[in-house]
Amino acid sequence: MSNNKVPITRLGKFFGDQDFNLDISIGEEWLYGDMNFNLVLYRVDRKKTKTDNVYGETVKDGIKFLPPVEFKGFVQILAPENKNLGTNSKLNQVEPGNLKVAVYQKQLDELDVDINFGDYIGYYESETRVRYYTVTNDGRVISDNKHNYAGIRPYYRSIIASAVVDNEFRGL
Amino acid sequence: MPLPKKVKKNISLTEPEILFSRRKELLEKIQKDGTYLPKSILHSDLDGGFLDFVKEDLKLVVEGKKVPTVDILITTQNWAQFTQTWTFQNEDKNIEPPFITVVRIPEVKYGTNPSTLYTIPNRRQYFYAQVPTWDGTRAGMDIYKIPQPVPVDITYQVKIVCNRMRELNDFNKIIIEKFSSKQAYTNIKGHYIPIVMGNINDESVMDLEKRKYYIQSYEFTLLGFLIDENEFTVSPAITRALTVLEFDSGKIKRNPKSFEINETTNLDVLFLNGITLISQFFDYKTNLNVGTTKNIESYDIFINNEYYGSDISEIQINTNDILKIIITKQDNTKESKMELISKLI
Repeated sequence: MSNNKVPITRLGKFFGDQDFNLDISIGEEWLYGDMNFNLVLYRVDRKKTKTDNVYGETVKDGIKFLPPVEFKGFVQILAPENKNLGTNSKLNQVEPGNLKVAVYQKQLDELDVDINFGDYIGYYESETRVRYYTVTNDGRVISDNKHNYAGIRPYYRSIIASAVVDNEFRGL
Repeated sequence: MPLPKKVKKNISLTEPEILFSRRKELLEKIQKDGTYLPKSILHSDLDGGFLDFVKEDLKLVVEGKKVPTVDILITTQNWAQFTQTWTFQNEDKNIEPPFITVVRIPEVKYGTNPSTLYTIPNRRQYFYAQVPTWDGTRAGMDIYKIPQPVPVDITYQVKIVCNRMRELNDFNKIIIEKFSSKQAYTNIKGHYIPIVMGNINDESVMDLEKRKYYIQSYEFTLLGFLIDENEFTVSPAITRALTVLEFDSGKIKRNPKSFEINETTNLDVLFLNGITLISQFFDYKTNLNVGTTKNIESYDIFINNEYYGSDISEIQINTNDILKIIITKQDNTKESKMELISKLI
């Protein structure tokens, strides 16, 4: 990507930066003020994490994290799936549904954090129960129309994360 | 530094039994803590034995921690899985990897175990043991009979569910080493039952936006057999024997056996060259008939030095008589021969 900044002038007669910023701020007010879904992001420190040389898998207690960051987003949790583990295992599992989080790019920029594949997200389902998810789609590619507001520029990311089992991650 | 393979780490203080004594030892093991009869082996015993084999012989330890094994065969009952109190379940009651589970293929086929492949039809009972009994007054025996065991092949899938490749590698190593000779044995109620390794399948879940984990499935066939104790028979053997002899009191007439008695004996009298007189003492009574002669012109017979006759054909001899024969040869240069046929009186 180029480091040069080029002003976006499209749709200037009908919808400019001021309109864009206004609408985003209204959305933020709704999301942060009204909805107020709080999540905690646990980013894997990819430099300090110890992995084996062949498979790149983490060794025991080798995974290291950056300081957790609290952020807000629009949370959707999909319905759990009742299915057998694998094929023909006969072990019945009710797998928790995926977590879908829509998060403003602006917020991530302000917090100076990025969400990557494999990072963990904690979401408090109730006062006493937190469920952790691992990012399976970091929503980095936001060039599509859906993630563009009125065709001006992308403004949010859709993160998909699937639930992790306790022996993989239980928070810090 | 590891020890060389030839160095024994454990030395048994007793010599292992071999050949006949080993077979005897196996039989004692089969009968241990029970009756003289072998213990029943049915499907559930074979399943339990295979589970024990997986737990003990295919035990996997990763980073100092034993990978748990689901200690039941999951069936169609939905609640069965959730009645268990496994320590490796999470708050959702889901089992957390890594773990090992065993799935039994429901159908059980007629067996291919070579030792029980050939059968005698009609479930014939065979002698198994002879057990002494005592009813307080008399000693006896019970005969225990059992039918030939029925061979069965049961197929199992041993699955490892895990998150890391090294756990797969470790488990694969254990199995490949255990089945390096294609088969391994498990001991079920004293019987050694072979297990043959089959295919290895990968059932890993690699969906992009779901939880990813490895599942590897190892197929094994247990070449078992069924022994049902309800088919055993115990029957009393003979405790007392009564011997009865019966005779026919009627007389049986038999014709006397006839024997051919040869009453005559041939005596050959030889007159060598230059000999014309021979005398012979008789201590029995006999009639002598003169048979064929050779090179004899004529002969004179004397009994006790008294003239008896010339060229006669029959001579009567009494006990203690001395017979004297004087011949006239046809050719004096040759020997002569006279045949006397003796008939005892």
